[in-house]
Amino acid sequence: MADETSKHPKRESIKSSVGSIAGQRRREKAVMVGKQRRELLMRTKRLCRVGVSSDSANVDADDDDMMMDGEQSILEDQTLKAVQELKNAVSYQGKGAMQKRVNALRELRRLLSKSEYPPVEVALTAGAMSTLVQCLSFGSPDEQLLEAAWCLTNIAAGKPEETKALSPALPLLIAHMGEKSSLPVAEQCAWALGNVAGEGEDLRNILLSQGALQPLARMILPNKGSTVRTAAWALSNLIKGPESKAATELIRIDGVLDAILRHLKKGDEDLATELAWVVVYLTALSNVATNMLAKSDVVQILVERLASSHSLQLLIPLLRSLGNLVAGDSHVTSHILVPGNEITVNAIQAMIKCLESEHRVLKKESSWVLSNIAAGSIEHKKMIYSSEVVSLLVRLLSTAPFDIRKEVAYVLGNLCVAPAEGSGRPTLITEHLISLVGKGCLAGFVDLVRSIDTEAARVGLQFIELVLRGMPNGEGVKLVEAEDGIDAMERFQFHENEELRTMANELVDVYFGVNYRLDS
Amino acid sequence: MEVTQVLLSAQSVDSTVRKHAEETLKQFQEQNLPVFLLSLSAELASEEKPVDSRRLAGLILKNALDAKEQHRKYELVQRWLSLDVAVKSQIRAYLLQTLSSTVSDARSTASQVIAKVAGIELPQKQWPELIGSLLSNVHQVPPHVKQATLETLGYICEEVSPDVIEQDQVNKILTLVVQGMNANEANIDVRLAATRALYNALGFAQANFSNDMERDYIMRVVCEATLSPEVKIRQASYECLVSIGSTYYEKLAPYIQDIFNITSKAVREDEEQVALQAIEFWSSICDEEIDILEEYGGDFTADSDVPCYYFIKQALPALVPLLLETLLKQEEDQDQDEGAWNLAMAGGTCLGLVVRTVGDDIVPLVMPFIEENLSKEDWRRREAATYAFGSILEGPSPDKLTPIVNVALNFMLTALTKDPSSHVKDTTAWTLGRIFEFLHGSAVENPIITPSNCQQIVTVLLESMKDAPNVAEKACGALYFLTQGYEDLGSTSPLTPYFQDIVQCLLNVTHREDAAESRLRSSAYETLNEVVRCSTEETARLVLELVQVIMQELHKTLEAQKLSSDEREKQNELQGLLCGCLQVIIQKLGVSEATKFAFMQYADQIMSLLLGVFACRSATVHEEAMLSIGALAYATGPNFAKYMPDFYKYLEMGLQNFEEYQVCSVTVGIVGDICRALEDKILPYCDGIMTQLLKDLSSNQLHRSVKPPIFSCFGDIALAIGENFEKYLMYAMPMLQSAAELSAHTSGADDEMIEYTNLLRNGILEAYSGIFQGFKNSPKTQLLIPYAPHALQFLDSIYMEKDMDDIVMKTAIEVLGDLADTLGSNAGSLIQQSMSCKDFLNECLSSEDHLIKESAEWARLAISRAISV
Repeated sequence: MADETSKHPKRESIKSSVGSIAGQRRREKAVMVGKQRRELLMRTKRLCRVGVSSDSANVDADDDDMMMDGEQSILEDQTLKAVQELKNAVSYQGKGAMQKRVNALRELRRLLSKSEYPPVEVALTAGAMSTLVQCLSFGSPDEQLLEAAWCLTNIAAGKPEETKALSPALPLLIAHMGEKSSLPVAEQCAWALGNVAGEGEDLRNILLSQGALQPLARMILPNKGSTVRTAAWALSNLIKGPESKAATELIRIDGVLDAILRHLKKGDEDLATELAWVVVYLTALSNVATNMLAKSDVVQILVERLASSHSLQLLIPLLRSLGNLVAGDSHVTSHILVPGNEITVNAIQAMIKCLESEHRVLKKESSWVLSNIAAGSIEHKKMIYSSEVVSLLVRLLSTAPFDIRKEVAYVLGNLCVAPAEGSGRPTLITEHLISLVGKGCLAGFVDLVRSIDTEAARVGLQFIELVLRGMPNGEGVKLVEAEDGIDAMERFQFHENEELRTMANELVDVYFGVNYRLDS
Repeated sequence: MEVTQVLLSAQSVDSTVRKHAEETLKQFQEQNLPVFLLSLSAELASEEKPVDSRRLAGLILKNALDAKEQHRKYELVQRWLSLDVAVKSQIRAYLLQTLSSTVSDARSTASQVIAKVAGIELPQKQWPELIGSLLSNVHQVPPHVKQATLETLGYICEEVSPDVIEQDQVNKILTLVVQGMNANEANIDVRLAATRALYNALGFAQANFSNDMERDYIMRVVCEATLSPEVKIRQASYECLVSIGSTYYEKLAPYIQDIFNITSKAVREDEEQVALQAIEFWSSICDEEIDILEEYGGDFTADSDVPCYYFIKQALPALVPLLLETLLKQEEDQDQDEGAWNLAMAGGTCLGLVVRTVGDDIVPLVMPFIEENLSKEDWRRREAATYAFGSILEGPSPDKLTPIVNVALNFMLTALTKDPSSHVKDTTAWTLGRIFEFLHGSAVENPIITPSNCQQIVTVLLESMKDAPNVAEKACGALYFLTQGYEDLGSTSPLTPYFQDIVQCLLNVTHREDAAESRLRSSAYETLNEVVRCSTEETARLVLELVQVIMQELHKTLEAQKLSSDEREKQNELQGLLCGCLQVIIQKLGVSEATKFAFMQYADQIMSLLLGVFACRSATVHEEAMLSIGALAYATGPNFAKYMPDFYKYLEMGLQNFEEYQVCSVTVGIVGDICRALEDKILPYCDGIMTQLLKDLSSNQLHRSVKPPIFSCFGDIALAIGENFEKYLMYAMPMLQSAAELSAHTSGADDEMIEYTNLLRNGILEAYSGIFQGFKNSPKTQLLIPYAPHALQFLDSIYMEKDMDDIVMKTAIEVLGDLADTLGSNAGSLIQQSMSCKDFLNECLSSEDHLIKESAEWARLAISRAISV
């Protein structure tokens, strides 16, 4: 039992067999692959949302005030070094070269993601762009493509001239969104291109002429959560116009309409948000798209999601899409949002929810949607008039910020006039007018007349006209005077806007002219 | 019960008698353990009993106190601690009594049993009088008792950790031991026992080595003992010296000259087992200095705990000739004996370490020896010169080596083909391998291999693969490193023109009848794997053809029927190699879409072959086959679902394999791979997998190293199935929480335990991350809210503990971000209430480690979003 021989385990000879070491290394590598993929998956999961909603970077701007000038210059030095390192890595060939490139790219990307003031300019001046473009060459490993595209994404998020610096990289970024690319690479490229497209019309046109629309559109067809979301976001930037051609082209691509509806209906809130923005631009710019969408289930889906969601990010584009559709295609009001239909009731309920919400934008957008519905048939007007919406609107007209009041005024105004038949002044719906004035909304309109915004002033004047003309027993005149309406209108006596000037002067002349003074 | 007879029968040559006796002992133990142990100790103590029964009684006692497997050992310890106090003290008395026996086997056995009991009891503050009673009277007892006492003290020191024994007792032990080693000690057995005891007691001597006088005394006694006429004492004292060299490196300076003198004399003149230890002393000094210099990292301003005394550099002029001499002491045929270890090999290995320690300085000292001997008539001289050349290739700068290698390369290539000695060819091929390993590759400015000699090199290496197995094996190694030097070249490789020949040649090697010798077959396959791994798209088509060849080979192994156990083992080994090869090929072809597409046509066949391999072994699964499955899952993606019905049972088997825990561990990893491939299509199998994983976690039989990956695997599953993980929350979360509590604190743990704890934390954190991210954007996120406070507490406590490694720190800060990301405002207030989240985040934000920093920046964003909502 006693150990008579050496207590040491024998030392490993330096002249050893390659088989066992190599096998060990190979197995370790195989296990490492799994770990790396887990990392990659988690990273994708975590980071997508951060970058896709482009405004999220501002969220933490306030607690980063420790970023001193000194730190900034250190960051710049590091960036210079990183670009140099990357150039070296790219020109270097052979053992470990790929890992070297990937490491160098990762370092640069990290620096570019750092701080609120990423050192994009320094990187560009140091010549990062041509090297990054080299890293995107065909046949490069995924990891490299991913990191390079990520660097470009961060650069593209910079100032306008920095974004423009991406021009030489655009064809390759577009190419890597092809069907044979791996999903993470394609997604990262989409992200970069989304940033570029968001920069402005010129860059959008360049991207469109280089064929970015097709591959991006193809990426939203399957059910791959984050990829679809990023691609949709990029698409919404790409079709922003002002020309409508891209939007029309997009909706005509096979499968796109279905995919939009599917994701909008079933996708999680982040995904639905990006798709809703695509719908916003489609319906804002392209009549073709608006018509196609209007005839689909889209209104139904928009209303359902409006009802179920509490996410501000999602509700805004949903509302705007709905508004665009209502305003853009009469089919919606004449065939879908018909009074008496369940969907119409739901739509109104959704608007109420938004009007009651805390968020300014929701109130404004929902008022705008309502104003478009209120511009519809007599039945539409009656329906809104008899809902809870009205009291909410009246309250908003006196308490809300200016831009909301203006939208609200349109709704209330529309409620009081019947659809115009032929030309001439619109016919009054006296019942609505009396009731609304009775609720005290005239003061709100008079207030609008005083605003420097001519549109708001016009709405105000139009309503005053309705009151003066429509209130029974000439009561309107007294009401307007009691709200200081005359004073408000006299502001326009010498106003540069001819239409308003004429309108105001006419009203004052007709109702408060010489005779009025005598009569009273 | 007459235990003596049973113990004797248990050693009978007649297997029936033996089995019966073993059975009787087993029953006895089960029926009445205290009496059983008492009888054994009485047997051991009794001078009337035959030595054989006493020895076995002691052995059974020892095995009743300790076991190799962690969980079994724990059970035995608990069992002993719960025994009746009176029984235990009676057993202890018998054991101590046995130390005075005149029978040396009985004494020696008792020494070991006492040490085992001490190993259990001393940390519990039980048997406090043990050391005292051993030390008392030791000067009055006869030599054989003194010898047994010293042996016992040595074993006790081996068994318990230094903090368990009081310093004054340590002092007494060391005094006794050193006195026993002294040249004045007339009794050889006492002196040998003392020397061996010192070896174990060195770890207790921190305080004594810090005291100049005591240290001088110990060192003098040890050095004297190396000159003892008794070879065993010389060997044991050199073992002490080796241990002192690594434990007390920083105290060696005053003695190093003397040590050099005695070791060099031993290397040159003493018997081999002594000479080997003398060489080992210098190897371990190299180990120390390499470690210290690595810690310096070439930056001499860095504080290292231990300064480098450059002993090797100083000894160089004398040490190098000494080691070169040993190279000439080869044994005939040592090249064909895998386990061989002799003076030449130890000397060569030490030389290699010396080179790594001192770098450039050694080259001029070795070159004359190489030049003088490389072309000598005597094969020993040629081989020694070649070996010396091979040893200097790792360490010195390329500037120094490249000119020499450029001159020598042709010579080496010629020697590999023409030298009449297979031993010389073996070492030559190895040296070529070292040249390619350290001086070839794009990192090297002046390439050794050029378009003009590449073809010749490949030709020579391929030719050598027909040589003797040991030579062919080394040629494989050379080809392996040659290939590796060309990895990552992009789309074209200088080896492309030879790809087909290389592959064919390696396949031929695997078919050699003698491929089992010198590990030739496995080296050939691993080299083939490297050739595939480093190949470029130019040869993708050939790799695709190779798939079919390997499939064919694997198919052949499945056809064999009715194998003997020996044949079965060979079949297993070959299947392992072939699966390894498939794994590399699949990974290679899966990387690009074009080759993946072409490869897919074989996916079904490969899968059915792998299932065949699994079916060959009834209870266990082949680790290599599992790894191939992982590669296949990545390549096939969601389509892997169609293989799941057939594969599932093997997956389950792998997860149940407690004995071969590496297989279990690999299988857990494969579950993760499959999760990522299948995403939510794995759902139908999750009940089974989760059940098995939870069983694994609650088992104390399973090796603990598998537990961290199981937690990570929870995360993988949750990521794949998202909110469907709901039904497992009630099982998985309590497991996570209790493991988290266990791993929150590490106070008093040793380095190994801290390392394990960090692995465990990392697994737990990955589980949390996976679950949080898996539920993100689902309507069911609120289900996680009740678990959030615990997760935050866990983060708090590991932050407070201040012993996270960088990996845990990164995973931990990510969990904080994930929690905020998924739970949004629900997490916001919890995070704001948390004690240390803010500090932790700030610490991570200012971390040096850019991965931690990056994760922290992301977490900050997620948190600020959660708080602002």
